[in-house]
Amino acid sequence: MNISTHKNELIFGYSSGSLREAKSLFVSMYLYLNSVAAKKASIFDNILAENLIHIDEVAPKKLNYKDCINDDIGEKFSSSTKNNHNPLSNLVGDFKNINWKSVYKGFKEFNIPVNDSDDLKLIKMDPGTSVPLHSHNGKEYILVLDGSFHDEYGEFKKGDLQINDQKIKHHPTASKKEGCICLSITESDVVFFGKFGSALNLFTFIKSFFK
Amino acid sequence: MENEKLVELAKKISNNRDEKAFSEVFDFLAPKINAYYLRNNMSFAQSEELTQEVLSTIWTKANLFNPERSKFITWSFTIARNKKIDLQRKNKNRKAEDEDIRQFLYQSNKTSDYEIQSSIDKIKQELDENQKKLIKMSFFEQKTHKKIAEELEIPLGTVKSRIRSTLTKMQKFLS
Repeated sequence: MNISTHKNELIFGYSSGSLREAKSLFVSMYLYLNSVAAKKASIFDNILAENLIHIDEVAPKKLNYKDCINDDIGEKFSSSTKNNHNPLSNLVGDFKNINWKSVYKGFKEFNIPVNDSDDLKLIKMDPGTSVPLHSHNGKEYILVLDGSFHDEYGEFKKGDLQINDQKIKHHPTASKKEGCICLSITESDVVFFGKFGSALNLFTFIKSFFK
Repeated sequence: MENEKLVELAKKISNNRDEKAFSEVFDFLAPKINAYYLRNNMSFAQSEELTQEVLSTIWTKANLFNPERSKFITWSFTIARNKKIDLQRKNKNRKAEDEDIRQFLYQSNKTSDYEIQSSIDKIKQELDENQKKLIKMSFFEQKTHKKIAEELEIPLGTVKSRIRSTLTKMQKFLS
């Protein structure tokens, strides 16, 4: 499966509402920054919404239109729906005020609290910082929020998405001029099966407390 | 009901808080939204509760609907879908006071639907009835591949490969 298929599946998943919390937020940000991706999501939303037109209707039994004219019910959502709103800024505030945790020189992280087994975090690389050659156990999704980086696969700028899996080895370097801020998802730890599976899973479980 | 008519009703709701107009939207949409949730495996009580929330949101937020950017049915669908995402999240022992994920979800549709209408038309032309059915079952009704295989009485592997080839076909018209 090529990268564009992966990207489209992410967008389709978002449109259908099947993604969990971390990926929903991640794709929200992707659509916010990338107009091509937003267009695809819109096409898919339209196609799915058409199913609503032709659906076999089932009338609600107890519900009446007057039950919905209740500004209190709508009220609690009303402050939240601002158009053209950066989906992340409500969650983490201004990037300038983020309490970054230094991982090594020039490379900082901030974990975004989500109720999900996927890790969602912000990564900040100072200008010119490199990450040593590595590959990934699970899948990793990287969205550039600001600045840019380059690696063996090209240059990635604001709004670009990179998806890495086990087969990919890369050596990313942040732009010398402006550095790079990215949003990343690393998929949950592998669950082990078989004879020693439960012991390995227990180990992963304990390890998760020390993350 | 045609999009034009729905747009007109939405304007009346937003500008005049017109209850009569809202009742028409309700009669049109509530049985569809309710059916959508039921098809997504919700209980009748849960489905009705969410349908009420969707229609309440339409009543309070009709001013945010922009006919230049989207069809009314698409806008309503995305509200219904986002409520479903939020419910799935609440089901995982979220506390009531936890923040509502919907405020972090992407809301605004920068591209106009009319601009992309040709892509949609092409995709609809290209896909045959079986492929449309698979997209509907998998993405609209969120059925697992296994469930689809059982319902259509075809092997699981066939379901997977057909969905894959349908998506590949669609991708041609996405860029």
